[in-house]
Amino acid sequence: MRIIIFSWEYPPRVVGKLSEYVKALSTQLVASNVEVNVVTYDDFFTGSAQEPTGVKTVRVSNPVRTHIGVLTWVLTLNQEVERAAANIYYQAKKQIDLVDVYDWHFIPAAVTLKNGLGIPFVYSVESLEDHRSPNTNTSYNMAIKGVEWLGFYEAEKISVKSEWMRDEVIRIYKVPKEKIVVISTNPTSWITEILKLYNSTSGGLKGK
Amino acid sequence: MKDDLTVMMLSWEFPPRIIGGISPHVYFLSKSLAKQGVKVYVITCDFPDAPSHEIIDGVEVYRIDSYKNPAPDFATWVYLMNLNMQKETAALTRKIANKIDVFHAHDWLVANAGIGLKHVFRKPLLVTMHSTEMGRRDGLHTSTEKMIHETEAWLTYEAWRVICCSEYMITHVKWAFGLPSDKLVMVPNGVNTDCYNDIDADLKDFRSKFALPEEKIVLFVGRLVYEKGIHVLINAVPKILEKVNAKFIIVGSGYMKEQLLNIVRSMGLEHKVLFEGFLDEQTLLKLQKCADVSVVPSLFEPFGIVALEAMAAKSPVVASDTGGLSEIIEHDVTGVKVYPNNPDSLAWGITKVLLDENYRKRIRENAYKRVQEKYDWEKIAQQTKHIYEGVLGEYSKSFWA
Repeated sequence: MRIIIFSWEYPPRVVGKLSEYVKALSTQLVASNVEVNVVTYDDFFTGSAQEPTGVKTVRVSNPVRTHIGVLTWVLTLNQEVERAAANIYYQAKKQIDLVDVYDWHFIPAAVTLKNGLGIPFVYSVESLEDHRSPNTNTSYNMAIKGVEWLGFYEAEKISVKSEWMRDEVIRIYKVPKEKIVVISTNPTSWITEILKLYNSTSGGLKGK
Repeated sequence: MKDDLTVMMLSWEFPPRIIGGISPHVYFLSKSLAKQGVKVYVITCDFPDAPSHEIIDGVEVYRIDSYKNPAPDFATWVYLMNLNMQKETAALTRKIANKIDVFHAHDWLVANAGIGLKHVFRKPLLVTMHSTEMGRRDGLHTSTEKMIHETEAWLTYEAWRVICCSEYMITHVKWAFGLPSDKLVMVPNGVNTDCYNDIDADLKDFRSKFALPEEKIVLFVGRLVYEKGIHVLINAVPKILEKVNAKFIIVGSGYMKEQLLNIVRSMGLEHKVLFEGFLDEQTLLKLQKCADVSVVPSLFEPFGIVALEAMAAKSPVVASDTGGLSEIIEHDVTGVKVYPNNPDSLAWGITKVLLDENYRKRIRENAYKRVQEKYDWEKIAQQTKHIYEGVLGEYSKSFWA
């Protein structure tokens, strides 16, 4: 199995808890014979594309330096994520099983790759805009929620870490329950569950 | 060269959505390319009552959801709209089994979509730069302006070829983004002559609604803003009236309108200078045909389409010697060029044209011939097709092919 993970943070770039989580996940997946490509943001701490763990990382930087907010920053960075992912796709002779995208930042790239190249994606939810900015419905927050909604709509599967989060996704975004998989970080079952999720996602667009 | 050349045109405006000059440009270019046997898809923003898919003059038009929720600001809206445009274009490209040869983007307004699609499908991207943020704002003063400028730089960097509509814009774009010369190519903007030929020859009654038979008609068409130099024309009015009896017809609107009206009132010339505001297309075409002289006194002008329209309407043109106008008008041959921002020079040029009927006739005929030779959409489409073919020849030798 060959997959691409999109995450806007990956060590040594640590913004929140996601960074270490994605690193642990990628390392474990490599140990389970999955080819893992991580596409992440380059904040100039590292140059290496090959990690000792066997995880392949591509770090992209923003082609537009000046920005007026996180939203414009994210939206211009996505084309670089697409470029990196397309390079992996063509080098792998178009054999990519799926994209696993963490949080909303790189949803636009995942959606384009799905619609253009037929690569299904899993939307892995770490947090939601509704929780990060409670009771704010400015056009700025609504645009981010719109991107999250697009992710839920276009994703083949949605992965969350708790039943509470599953219920929140259903409550806020009216996502059908069957689309969401709860995978706890319980060390005995975690990777098995993830692999099961990937297997059910991979090839999900075939024939569509 | 394969003959089933297919191009995916990306433009934020296409008729009936008309915001500026890109909309008619993409319409005529696409239609004329289709006539040359090129398969053209246009992906554009939606518009009330316009269908989401239709075929217009052989061109397949798809109108996408342009993100209609409130956006924090215009630039952020542009990027959000691009997300939708890219998604829907990607789906369409997949649906037609990747049977496209090039993506052609128009201005930074579709930069993200164009760049992303280029990499996802590994097809060449071309861009036409109609204008630049630096030129529009006379420099880069805010974060938004810098961001847009850097987006333009990114787009021209990613493009295989950058098309500009005048030599002036080539020089400007080359300098603004530090591009190598061999990446830039000049293809002029075209003008449609058919719409003027379709108009009834007898415009006597129509003319009498605007001017007395003994009055010459001096026509200005443009936004009433500083860069269009309308104040220069207003200041030249008394100087012209000393020598020739004329009526000045001003078409268009803008923030300078009140100020200009006050100047005209203070000169006591309200009966000689008519502010018509916006006019419907037919009335405008007829006025352009009736005009004894069309004046383009701009201080900044990347191209100057209004001068070409006058030439197509067989109205003699007096224009300031600046930007794209300098290239369109050949002094004493296809029009008269005057010093920019100089009412004396402008008055001299207008008077010269109005007082000499033979001269007027000569430059009109030359100008119309020039329009047919150089600014005909068929020829422009041919040039554009050659550019596509050239790019595809280079592409076929790249590892993406």
